[in-house]
Amino acid sequence: MPIPEVLRAKWFWYSLLCVFLMGGWTIFSKIASSEISAPTMQFLYPFGWVPVAVACLWTRGFRLEKSPRGILYGIAVGVLGGIGGLAFFAAYRTGGNTSAISAATGMYPLITVVLAVLILREKLTWLHVVGLLFAAAAFLLFSL
Amino acid sequence: MHIPIWFWMAIIVLLTWGIAGLFQKLATNHLSAESTTVCLVIGFFLLCPWLYPQESLWMYSTRALLFSLLSALLNALGAWAMLKAMRHGGKASIVVPFTALYPIVTFFLSPAVLHEPVSLLQAAGVLCGLIAVVLLST
Repeated sequence: MPIPEVLRAKWFWYSLLCVFLMGGWTIFSKIASSEISAPTMQFLYPFGWVPVAVACLWTRGFRLEKSPRGILYGIAVGVLGGIGGLAFFAAYRTGGNTSAISAATGMYPLITVVLAVLILREKLTWLHVVGLLFAAAAFLLFSL
Repeated sequence: MHIPIWFWMAIIVLLTWGIAGLFQKLATNHLSAESTTVCLVIGFFLLCPWLYPQESLWMYSTRALLFSLLSALLNALGAWAMLKAMRHGGKASIVVPFTALYPIVTFFLSPAVLHEPVSLLQAAGVLCGLIAVVLLST
């Protein structure tokens, strides 16, 4: 039986690895945020990232590419991620159900898909449109 | 109709992380996943002055502080893996929805680890969310 092309793509395996790591992240976040406030959690966050950043720098011989645009986008991701993270921890602190919060906030790709189509000109198939409708239904269910 | 506070927090998460998903792809068009991860940390540190805790960190238990740093570590590794996927040709409109599958891991872990019950509506929501993610990744 031929192996589906997607299973041979590196991006697929990296994405799968991301799924499992992020799943663990939500559990640890919930445990920690039951005691620590949202701003303090977000304050501590960069310190938890430092070992990974140092490892990344090490693999690159402690040199970054000189692309001002790329660096600017990267830093913007950090700032937006930080603001989103603050809201994420705050949501957990309200005492809401972890599964519901994780799943509701997990709908952020809807925004990315729309922006990717509008700005990056990535194609949206009819299956994507059905997917967007399912995501909207999911978000409504989580809010009930 | 009463809308819970966490719902509004989730809206902020959706907008900021949704836009961040686009910027991740734009960043990896110019930088390696590793360099982008370093830039992300710089961006995180830029917010630190506004987030400096009013209280002493030592008022929290070692366990809570440890879990906080562990969650950040896993988040960093997850972000690196996502950037690596984009750098290896994954489209933002595919990689970002695909990696949003992580609630399924939470959904199965939280009753076992956190002893949280899962309602039928949430299960239906998770199911719809997963179908959405799969379709968006097709």
